[in-house]
Amino acid sequence: MPNTQTSVPAFVASQVLTAQQQTEINTGIPVFATTVTRDAAFGGSGEKALAEGQFAYIEATNTTQYYDGAAWQSVGASGLTLVSATTIGTTVSSVTVSSAFSSTYDNYRIILSGGVASTATEINMTLGATATGYYRFLVSGSYTSDTVNGAGSANTTSWRHTASGSTTLLSGEIDLYSPNLAKNTSIIGRGAQASTTGATLWQNGYLNDTTQYTAFTFTPQTGTLTGGTIRVYGYQNS
Amino acid sequence: MATYKIQIDDVVRDATTEEAAAIDAQRAEAEVVAEAAAAKVAARQAVLDKLGLTADEAAALLG
Repeated sequence: MPNTQTSVPAFVASQVLTAQQQTEINTGIPVFATTVTRDAAFGGSGEKALAEGQFAYIEATNTTQYYDGAAWQSVGASGLTLVSATTIGTTVSSVTVSSAFSSTYDNYRIILSGGVASTATEINMTLGATATGYYRFLVSGSYTSDTVNGAGSANTTSWRHTASGSTTLLSGEIDLYSPNLAKNTSIIGRGAQASTTGATLWQNGYLNDTTQYTAFTFTPQTGTLTGGTIRVYGYQNS
Repeated sequence: MATYKIQIDDVVRDATTEEAAAIDAQRAEAEVVAEAAAAKVAARQAVLDKLGLTADEAAALLG
């Protein structure tokens, strides 16, 4: 993008500005590709120190942000702010979103929609590279029965069945609490199979560690995923 | 070991041996948990069969 910059310079008296620097000034506020390049643009040699009142525009999410002295906030943001949108590829056995969580938000909502699975399947979830310590209780039922089924699982390698996949649709709505804080991460997940003989699910759980995560992975229990979008939203802290 | 195609953000590639092993382990464990849950459902249904009730009828009885 023409306006993208990777550094916010600190000028000194009588300094002669380059054409590029003047163009950046004329842009109004610094423009960054992502929050990662934004964070790398301050505090280095010859760069401004990040301080309260700094503005920035993020191309990846089309948002204008300001720094409140402790964290970046989105201008005019509603309760939920889009953090990332990942389009799922073709016949993949897992999908990782690597920059989903940061210190900007404490809590997140993840929506999985569209796309298809190669076969009806549960979709499991992990945080970072952690493969132990997942706890959850699942309540599920079939569209063709009034029976409610419950299933607990303790200290497993993933959160099982956080979302659902069918040959016509991927479906998941997941709330994660404090994944990037040095606390346990808890989860509430919901999903519905798009099939006349399918099932719907609801579950609560947590991850028994205090690792500060930035990434998560969806893995179908069987088969593969194709298409669809994983959207991550941050809940405004204030 | 099965071969898998994995995606990290916008990049799709073949899984490494370690990544494939992690997927296999996760799927195998989930299969065990699912089988245990199915066994519980089957055991409950076996009791209901002895009573001559469907699962929905039993649920109705329990309110």
